[in-house]
Amino acid sequence: MKDNYCELVSKEFLNEDTVYLEFLCPEIANNAVPGQFVNVTCSKFLRRPFGIAGVNKEKGTFRIGVKIIGEGTTEIACFEEGDEVFILGPLGNGFDFNKDGKYILISGGTGVFPINFAYEYLSEIGADVKVVQGFRNMSQVIMNKPEFILTTDSGDAGIKGNCCDGLNTLSDEDLKDATVACVGPIPMMKAVSAWADSKGLDCYISMEQRMACGIGICLVCVCKTKAQEQGVEFDHKRCCKDGPVFNSKEVIL
Amino acid sequence: MSEKLFVKVGDVVLKSPIILASGTCNMGRELSEIYDLSILGGLSSKGLTIKPRVGNEGVRVAECECGMLNSVGLQNPGVDHFIKEDLGYMNTLDTGVIVNVAGHCFEDYIDIVNKLNPYADMIDALEVNLSCPNVKAGCMSIGSDPEQIKAIVSELRKLTDLPLWIKLTPNVTDIKQTALAAQEGGADAVVLINTLLGMKIDIKTRRPVLRNNTGGYSGPAVKPVAIRMVAECSQVLDIPIIGCGGISSAEDVIEFMIAGASAVEIGTANLVVPESPKFITEELEAWCKDNDTSLESLTATLQLW
Repeated sequence: MKDNYCELVSKEFLNEDTVYLEFLCPEIANNAVPGQFVNVTCSKFLRRPFGIAGVNKEKGTFRIGVKIIGEGTTEIACFEEGDEVFILGPLGNGFDFNKDGKYILISGGTGVFPINFAYEYLSEIGADVKVVQGFRNMSQVIMNKPEFILTTDSGDAGIKGNCCDGLNTLSDEDLKDATVACVGPIPMMKAVSAWADSKGLDCYISMEQRMACGIGICLVCVCKTKAQEQGVEFDHKRCCKDGPVFNSKEVIL
Repeated sequence: MSEKLFVKVGDVVLKSPIILASGTCNMGRELSEIYDLSILGGLSSKGLTIKPRVGNEGVRVAECECGMLNSVGLQNPGVDHFIKEDLGYMNTLDTGVIVNVAGHCFEDYIDIVNKLNPYADMIDALEVNLSCPNVKAGCMSIGSDPEQIKAIVSELRKLTDLPLWIKLTPNVTDIKQTALAAQEGGADAVVLINTLLGMKIDIKTRRPVLRNNTGGYSGPAVKPVAIRMVAECSQVLDIPIIGCGGISSAEDVIEFMIAGASAVEIGTANLVVPESPKFITEELEAWCKDNDTSLESLTATLQLW
């Protein structure tokens, strides 16, 4: 992992407040695994972290999705092709996937981006993979593929309901020996973890917290985890370095 | 490494004036994956307490103009774990090993120094944190009272021959008084400054961004405050000063040294550009060459109007 000077090579608006950026950086393209993230410089004091949305090893590029939320993300969304920027990465621990595995991927919110990388990666290595996407309504739907199970709260696209309603359409055969991987808002990951638990499936989730360094030195971006030793109520682990991917049984949601 | 970068802090000789500040480099492992830490003068460990601490809950960082607030609250694995797992590692880095210690009360500081004493040959200096603003007791509440500072430093002085560097808080009316108290207690050096106590409010929720309400402000914004405090203390102290606060360039290091610092600590810059201490070291080497001078000769050369 190092600080890479990366050129923006392509840019596409996915909807009115979300852009898809592709940066040239063989270092990150060759080394990143799904679930990892990058920390992007902008003119604000701290960098902004984004889950890696996919890589193209031949072109030496990687992609991120940026939802415009504040000044930092607005500035990054306004980068133009040819602009160069320092990007630290790939960072954190990703998903531990293997080709003989069987996976159910679930995304919500900007979780569609890391889940997209996971889907592309698993498809490429030939693993068995199903994807469930959850959105608020049709106008929010991005990064969708026909083979995905789509759910919306409003019901104007796909199945009406949340991603657990989508998961419940899977057959017993689909669930057998599957591993669940979920990236989304906390309430969603909590519901998916409980669902996976009820089916006796291992579940991995990606935790997020206000972050500074992204490399594990400042200890600001911690999440609550179950205590390893007696005498303490809980532990704090670093989302950036110990995660962002954790076994759902380890984290206190 | 150029010998022109060598500095002395009392009896402690450092390869360069650059020390990584406690709490911004963990125990060194993560940054050592990015650059060779042996170019540094030293590395100050995460602040250690007698028992492990999980730190504060919830949001612990708030971005501000030219800096940030943090309220980590001294999350650390405890001194026993440090001795077992980290001290040996820090000694492999071929740089100065500074161990930062913190506590709730006098007894904590005494216990922790007693635990570290047997490992004195693996430690270049103890940095006594009398200034963390993010814990309810100890640290800053001891470190704002000159009488208590003098008392605790005198106690620790009796216990150990290790160099005692006292890290002080800027959240006092007159930092000269607390720095003099540390000197009178027998400190070998003072580290100026820890973070400034601050708050950021989310105007939509009308709540502080930090779950701890307040946090320590650091980054380039605090540098003028730190420079002023180093300059003021330099006029009245006989012991060396280690400057700290918002350093992000070689010019900043030189400014701190002119103000009175014998060495400096780089903190928040590590979180933004992890390699900044390396870049600053390279710039300092070039500066010494261009100006045909050593860094050590800069210390306390400020001429006030």
